Amino acid sequence: MRVSHEWLGEMVDLEGVEPAKVADLLTLSGTEVEKVTAFGEGLEQVVVGEVVGLRRVEGSDHLFLAHVATPGQEPREVICGADNLFVGALVPWARPGTRLPIGAEIGRKRLRGIWSEGMLCAPDELGLGSDHDGVLILSPADAEGGMPLDRVYPADHLYELEVLSNRADCLSHWGVARELSALLSRPLRDPETSRPPRSSSAPSVQVAVDSSADCPIYLAELLTGFGDTPAPAIVRRRLAAIGQRSRGGIVDLANYVMFEIGQPLHTFDLDRLPTPESELAVGVRRGRRGESITCLDGITRELDPETLVITVGDAPQAVAGLIGGEASAVGPGTSQVLLEAANFNWARLRSTSRRLRLRTEASGRFERQLSPHLARRGADRFIHLAVRHLGATLGPGAVGGVPLAAAAAIRCDPARISSILGMELSPAEVAGPLRRLQFEVREGRGEILATPSPYRTDVTTAVDLAEEVGRILGYRKVPGTLPPNRQAPPLEALAEPVARLASATCRAAGFSEALTLSLVSGEREGLAPRLIGNLAHLELDNPLSAQLGSLRQGLLQGLLQSAHHNQARGQDQVRLFEQGAAFWGRGPERPEEPWMLALLDLEDDEAVAAAARLRRLMALIASLSSVGGGGVVEFRPVTWLGLHRARAAEVWAGAERRGIVGEVARPGADAFDVRGRVEVAELRLDGWLKPGGRPGHAPPLPRTPALVLDLSVTVPSGALLGPALQAVEALGLPELELVTPIDEYVGDQLGPGVKGWTLRLRLRRPERTLTTAEGDKARQAVLRALELEVGATAR
Amino acid sequence: MTSVDLQELTAMALEEIARADSLERLDGVRLRYLGRRDGLVTLAGQRLRELSPEQRAVYGQEFNRATGELRLALEARQRELAVGEEALREDAEWVDMSHPFREPEVGHPHPVAGLIREIEDIFAFLGYQSVAGPELEDDQHNFQLLNMPPEHPARDAHDTFYLRPPAGGWLYRTHTSPVQMRAMLGSRPPLRIIVPGKVARRDNPDPTHTPVFHQVEGLCVDRGVTLGDLKGTLEYVIRALFGRDRRVRLRASYFPYTEPSLEADVACAVCQGAGCRTCLQKGWIEILGSGMVHPEVLRNGGVDPEIHSGFAFGMGPDRIAVLRYGLADLRDLYENDLRLLECF
Repeated sequence: MRVSHEWLGEMVDLEGVEPAKVADLLTLSGTEVEKVTAFGEGLEQVVVGEVVGLRRVEGSDHLFLAHVATPGQEPREVICGADNLFVGALVPWARPGTRLPIGAEIGRKRLRGIWSEGMLCAPDELGLGSDHDGVLILSPADAEGGMPLDRVYPADHLYELEVLSNRADCLSHWGVARELSALLSRPLRDPETSRPPRSSSAPSVQVAVDSSADCPIYLAELLTGFGDTPAPAIVRRRLAAIGQRSRGGIVDLANYVMFEIGQPLHTFDLDRLPTPESELAVGVRRGRRGESITCLDGITRELDPETLVITVGDAPQAVAGLIGGEASAVGPGTSQVLLEAANFNWARLRSTSRRLRLRTEASGRFERQLSPHLARRGADRFIHLAVRHLGATLGPGAVGGVPLAAAAAIRCDPARISSILGMELSPAEVAGPLRRLQFEVREGRGEILATPSPYRTDVTTAVDLAEEVGRILGYRKVPGTLPPNRQAPPLEALAEPVARLASATCRAAGFSEALTLSLVSGEREGLAPRLIGNLAHLELDNPLSAQLGSLRQGLLQGLLQSAHHNQARGQDQVRLFEQGAAFWGRGPERPEEPWMLALLDLEDDEAVAAAARLRRLMALIASLSSVGGGGVVEFRPVTWLGLHRARAAEVWAGAERRGIVGEVARPGADAFDVRGRVEVAELRLDGWLKPGGRPGHAPPLPRTPALVLDLSVTVPSGALLGPALQAVEALGLPELELVTPIDEYVGDQLGPGVKGWTLRLRLRRPERTLTTAEGDKARQAVLRALELEVGATAR
Repeated sequence: MTSVDLQELTAMALEEIARADSLERLDGVRLRYLGRRDGLVTLAGQRLRELSPEQRAVYGQEFNRATGELRLALEARQRELAVGEEALREDAEWVDMSHPFREPEVGHPHPVAGLIREIEDIFAFLGYQSVAGPELEDDQHNFQLLNMPPEHPARDAHDTFYLRPPAGGWLYRTHTSPVQMRAMLGSRPPLRIIVPGKVARRDNPDPTHTPVFHQVEGLCVDRGVTLGDLKGTLEYVIRALFGRDRRVRLRASYFPYTEPSLEADVACAVCQGAGCRTCLQKGWIEILGSGMVHPEVLRNGGVDPEIHSGFAFGMGPDRIAVLRYGLADLRDLYENDLRLLECF
């Protein structure tokens, strides 16, 4: 919302208070000033000129030649492109040599053979808003020829406010002035109101409100005797300053009161309503199916029982609190109006506004729980101004709804407020800021009784009072302390979290940490390998786009996309990992959120090197499990959707499948537009790795030397090392400490269909040194096991 | 053989030792003089047996001294030659130590993940435990228990992603605050937790928005916790994150789940508070929302507001990373460009 410094100054004395100071005070107390702009500055060089002659420029279809004069001077020729000029119009004239507030210097310019003596200005060219529809036409009531423009538009400052959603009271100059009055400790001057005597010439009026829950108060006032008088200059100038266009005296006044007091008003042209001779029956009720109304914006809207409407003689005339009907709109020639000052249920208005996709200045105020007490104030202010400035006469009026409850007093111990804020405050220090906010405060023994201003619907409890005191005194004054620390965090908090262990381990192994969005295209993720097999994606009901329409089931999709991003930017080696939740759901129960780790290692297309990278990745997985206390890892070859059919394995540990590892199949890599070979793994860490990592049990180190023997065997070329080593382990030889494959050999010397393995055996007995004979015996046993398992023969 | 012969022999040997220019030659010298079977000095020693006991005593002493001297000389020369030969061998294996190198192959932390770990460490110092909660929530925990009934205007700022049936009862949490509720409902005060994690709001991606982003929530509930305590905590944490001299200000605000509510701003690093494009001419940049936990929210969490009070805050590590590292666009954080990651 935009407010004017000059306008605020009418309600609270801002003498000597710089706009920057106002902005600072408002911002720190909760009403954030996003921008301060100067309005109407530097207009002293622009003069008011009168158009005394006007014709088209020959040979141009859009240029006009205006003769512009100031009293006592010869008219000058000015070329102008706007089409809203007329003879007699008063216009801002920037003569040659004038510097405009927007920075432009105006000169004499030759156009189509005519010397143009300066320029006639649109509002935006003068720094008076953004309007560029035509030359600013000044009212003879405000301006006269030859006057410098700064006398029509005195310099002002505008504040762009971000009003908090619970502070409907601040959506007006009066409300903001109330804040400033409290913040500056300067008295508040309320806008003047008066209630003239009613005449009885017009028909009488009656209001029937169906539900006071929908509409707690509805004031209807008849006003007659309007001419075509425009609103006073100051009203139009202030409205222009805050970006509102002038729409005729009656509408301008209604708008003015809304921006001044905060109460939205609506005016119906009485002569365009279905008016009976005797009594005008105004109703507030729900819409009915089949009803519709053509609104002020020309759009016809269907009504329904969720929508609140204003009726006259039961015919809908307005959508309550949102927009009026076109049929009863006030316009030129309106001489008598029905004025509405009402309050409508915020929740109802919110849902209606959302359903109709329409938000207006009025609905925006009601939605934030505007105080119903404002209605009377707003009506009185309009009546006061209309009678005084537009020559109107007050006719009969009526009230619908329920008697408004007065704001309830809040009982509160000043010590409690001190303890909430953490600063010692005396009862007087608590009462002071509240009184300045127009709260009624009574001090009793050890407590105060505060009745909030009726316009503050947000203050209902003692904590609310604490906030008022705190923000008006300023949080700058609260001393910063630390809370008492009487209890240490639980011991579990000391264990290093799994996510940290895993991150550190992956980074140490050369993988960089990635983060991707959890929203994916389900279709696209289907092209990436995933630990979870065949499961329908959880879908968003209101996605931003299909690209972000599903919740991810795994993390590899994101990493493949990042791999592509990097490769496309010239990185030939990409090693990334990501950790985070995936989402697996079936049916209406709470979806599962497994904590996943995915790794990706991409380089060129070289098969042997890729196999080595795959091995390294597997070694990293084994390290992760070992560092994280996840036990011994076993890789079981598998055929997995999306992975190379001969380079894929399941990761098993502790009798459970924990993940998959392998090379991305070519079609998958192609789908993500990734060249080269991509080695990947996806692991589920929760339930596997443990916070704090491995417990770190250390058995005594052996004191006897180990006997190390190599065993070379020939095996069929399809033989798998994993089962072979398991078979050796199954022998249960007590002295066999470790078996390490140290070489795999394929070559002509061995012949077709076979390959050679060399295994290194480490044998040891803790109590004595082993003999060569014992070593040979063990080697024979291992060889026999290999024979049985994979058909090995000694080489 | 006389003592004189032995002296001459020794002198010759010493000279040859000194002249030997390789370990191999030196070994030849050793064999010629001290060879076990036919070394010249060895042979001279064998003649001891032929001498009378008196002569043997004299000559034996001389012999021992001579062989001792030769052995020492051999060892010394051997050490000298070994060093020289090792040097030659090493020279042949030279490495250009001036060759520029790539950085060691350790991976790099993601700036946001790294920042979250840093925030966890700062709070660990203050006694806060880092806990996690589910990213999919129900309306109850995400909104209602936090004082945001249906139609509440504050929900406007939480443009929410809802799941499609059959999972229609779930939404992607719009903030980490529901974990506050879970923590309060799950254990008794005193409570000091922080909750880092992902949240989502239905914002179209632009330089300052991504539909999924991170938050770190904090909650402290105990007897006698004050707004001053909140202020002191935030000032400490913000200075830890942005530097000792960075100016901080607290500004009144509104959240349905806190009362009083505050937002914290830091002075804009680009313009030092003078106003620039980065801070939208405000001179300050908003970095977190906070406040004293609303009594109703405490009650919803099973905490008696007459006995306990508390404060809560929520900050955006993505935004803090952008501010701290001078990034131009929040979306860059989720592209995982290695050229960016390698800066950390």
